[in-house]
Amino acid sequence: MALRTLQVSPGFMRFMPKEYQDLVEKGPFGRKLKLSDLGTYKELLEEHPMCEGCAMAFFIRLALTALPAPEHTVILGTAGCGRLSLSQAAIPFVYGNYCDTNGVATGIKRGLALRFPDQPKDVVVMAGDGGLADIGFSQVLHGWFRQEKFTTVMLDNEVYGNTGGQESGMTKRGEVVKMAPVGKKFDKIDMIGLAKTAGVAYIARLTPTNPSRIVSTIRKAVLIAREVGPTYVQAYTSCNIEYAIPPQQVMEDARRVEKERYGFLEVMSEEAKAFLGGGEV
Amino acid sequence: MANTVNQRVVTPEHLLFEAPRTKAFITGSEAASEAVRRANVDIAIAYPITPQSETMERIGNLFAEGYIRDYYRAEDEVGAFSAISGASRTGVRCMTASSGPGLMRGLETIASWPGHRLPLVFLIMCRVINAPLSIQPDNLELDYMLTSGNILLHGENQQDFFDYTLAGFAISEKCEVTLPVAVAVDGFFVTHARAWVEMPSAELKLPPRDCYSEAVPMIDNENPPVRIARDAPIQKSNFISYQMHAAWQQEIHAAHERSRKWVSRYINGLVEVVNPEAETLIVASGSAVSQSREALRQAEEMGKKVGLIKVKSLRPFPTAELRAACRHAKRIIVPEFNCPGWLNREVRATLYGHSEAKIADGPRVYGGITMPTELILEWLFKSE
Amino acid sequence: MRRYNVRMAGVGGQGVVTASHVLSNGVIQSGGESTVVPFFGSEKRMAPVESYVRIADGKLYEIGEILYPNVIVIFHSQVITHGKSYTMPFYSGIKDNSFILVNMPRKVELSQDEERELEQKRAKVFYLPATEIALQAAGTEVATNMVMIGAVSAVLGLPDLESLEKALIERFLGKGLVASGGTASLDKAMEKNFGPKLDLVNKNMAAIRAAVKYAAEQGWVQVTTEGGSKQCTK
Repeated sequence: MALRTLQVSPGFMRFMPKEYQDLVEKGPFGRKLKLSDLGTYKELLEEHPMCEGCAMAFFIRLALTALPAPEHTVILGTAGCGRLSLSQAAIPFVYGNYCDTNGVATGIKRGLALRFPDQPKDVVVMAGDGGLADIGFSQVLHGWFRQEKFTTVMLDNEVYGNTGGQESGMTKRGEVVKMAPVGKKFDKIDMIGLAKTAGVAYIARLTPTNPSRIVSTIRKAVLIAREVGPTYVQAYTSCNIEYAIPPQQVMEDARRVEKERYGFLEVMSEEAKAFLGGGEV
Repeated sequence: MANTVNQRVVTPEHLLFEAPRTKAFITGSEAASEAVRRANVDIAIAYPITPQSETMERIGNLFAEGYIRDYYRAEDEVGAFSAISGASRTGVRCMTASSGPGLMRGLETIASWPGHRLPLVFLIMCRVINAPLSIQPDNLELDYMLTSGNILLHGENQQDFFDYTLAGFAISEKCEVTLPVAVAVDGFFVTHARAWVEMPSAELKLPPRDCYSEAVPMIDNENPPVRIARDAPIQKSNFISYQMHAAWQQEIHAAHERSRKWVSRYINGLVEVVNPEAETLIVASGSAVSQSREALRQAEEMGKKVGLIKVKSLRPFPTAELRAACRHAKRIIVPEFNCPGWLNREVRATLYGHSEAKIADGPRVYGGITMPTELILEWLFKSE
Repeated sequence: MRRYNVRMAGVGGQGVVTASHVLSNGVIQSGGESTVVPFFGSEKRMAPVESYVRIADGKLYEIGEILYPNVIVIFHSQVITHGKSYTMPFYSGIKDNSFILVNMPRKVELSQDEERELEQKRAKVFYLPATEIALQAAGTEVATNMVMIGAVSAVLGLPDLESLEKALIERFLGKGLVASGGTASLDKAMEKNFGPKLDLVNKNMAAIRAAVKYAAEQGWVQVTTEGGSKQCTK
């Protein structure tokens, strides 16, 4: 049982930092926790170096609380803002090369399936729009075509935030950002449509406006990936720096974007529906 | 998952040195896949490129037969190399293979394997790097591999390809090593040509990977948190980042030094020396060794004594062995199958201050052509 | 030690690569060493095809194309007349005292320069009507490639007929020795021509025997004593 690996020999526990002791004694591992339990246990992620008011940091915090079995979950990320916090969460995090998240996830999922045939191990990629729709595009699509059983979560801030605000494939048409000095010339890449074409078992699009929806979406995505096939969640997680959104207006922006062009969407395969209908989630 | 074939687990030492062997007249591609058949591999990931494809096709057949537990054709080299790095992180034994342009395409990934301390075996069937497009053998890509942090063995022939591939798994997973091992041969000359290869019974196989005995923890949520897990990304410009990155690189360097004894044990020394007393020496690796052996034979027919040092391991490089073997040399030539002459550069740097010998800047062929024995003989006796 | 570098040149569809494999495997069967390097290019009908066979009755090390052959086997006159060859002219790199076997009932007309160069190299050029021999002995010109290697074995004295037959049996009845992807489907077409596979071996063997007989009648067999390793060292 993976929880064991966090535990410290009894005599040494008092030498561990309080943070660690809390994680072992009051962490989420091996417990079935709900969103309403927030504040009653030690979360996987409590500190991060992301910007003030960052919607992505908020989304990641909630996404981590949604993991059905954090003690058996591996998260993969790549260059970008998301990994700044993901790498500080109390969960194994793999930070590989540019473009490689979904290839590495394939290897991890298959390797773990061979070694632990009787213990489900969840693999979740959380990376940005640049990492998944641009440089990692091929591996994302091919992982879907191969029906690899892991979850891909796109933290879509519609820009290369971490490198200073360059155009990405998920930037809206017409936006003037770095490397798009006269405005982006083509539409946001339709990753949802591509996911449908590729036969992704569960597809969801959402914004961080509704915490319980974030939790239920991520939980569904991880469980369906475990049992049925690839899942994809595309989350609008604005970059308030590059798009000059005042921190206190981040949620307001999210609500507006949700209303205008980023409404909640859920697409499921028949198999995924049948699985959910079985009351697993 | 295919049913696994019943094979008896034996030690690497038994499989490589003690088990009785029978001879088969096979291609290098067949030799490599026969090694993999006996290597207890969990996952092999393939992507086609000439002249590598035939090997990974055969390894696919091994999966169908139940000798390998998982196998698929990846989307491209980066996909294959990335997935291998994921699989290796979970503690399973894995391998892949590529050639020239494919290797170059995946070089970012290849150069990251050692930093992540990923045991795996990477077969290289050398091929010209485009442009212009060509599929022919030329081992320029090994120049890029030299600084990649991978252990790098360079096989001479089909027999070496079999032996080094098996040895590669054993070396790679040693705790002191915990590094990827690349096993290279020159494409076509070795992969598509037949030669006698002595092999132990296919009823034997290596022990499974013992991942908890390696230098770093696995990403499997079954052992204490993993190296990059819970480390801040080491990329902001501050002194901690300098220190961390320097330490990781030193780790690789140190692991290379520690690997010497294992490489030496499993491939019978980092070098082979023929006619050590000769004053005229050839230093070569890969197919150039075979060409040099024929040159030695013909030189002998002409009544001339020539020595040969076969460099089997490029990383770790046989520094001490080469210095010792070249102590009495007066003239050294370094035949190579690439334009820049990476082995020549290594030899010069190694022998500087340790040998009085004149080191010729060649001979070299490149672009895919073979090295005629006649060219080696010409360079050997040019000064006369 | 006897040691030969054999360069075979023909056009796509003639079975040059298959013949080189059978010849090479024949040498192996006789206890010698041999390697084949087929030239990989466009595998098209009537396009140039080359294959290189190294033969030794001792240890063999070299790899790769043969740039300096001492035996050249030309399966098709177009190799000479149309320049259907990767190594132009057809005798390029030839060593002193070598011999060339050409599938032609009569001498091919060569340029003055070519005649002079071959003379300087003291090359012996033998013309044999391989296609006709194949038709007579095996009933099909598809066996021309077997006639060519039969002649090679007669001239070199290596491999012996028994070993060649073993190589043929392995090629057609045993495993392996498939020259290229297309060859497998070609085999099916061949079976239609020849009937059962054993019959195929026998007919090919008949072509080889006929070639050996022809070479003996022409007095080419004596060349053997002049061949061997010395030629390789020049």
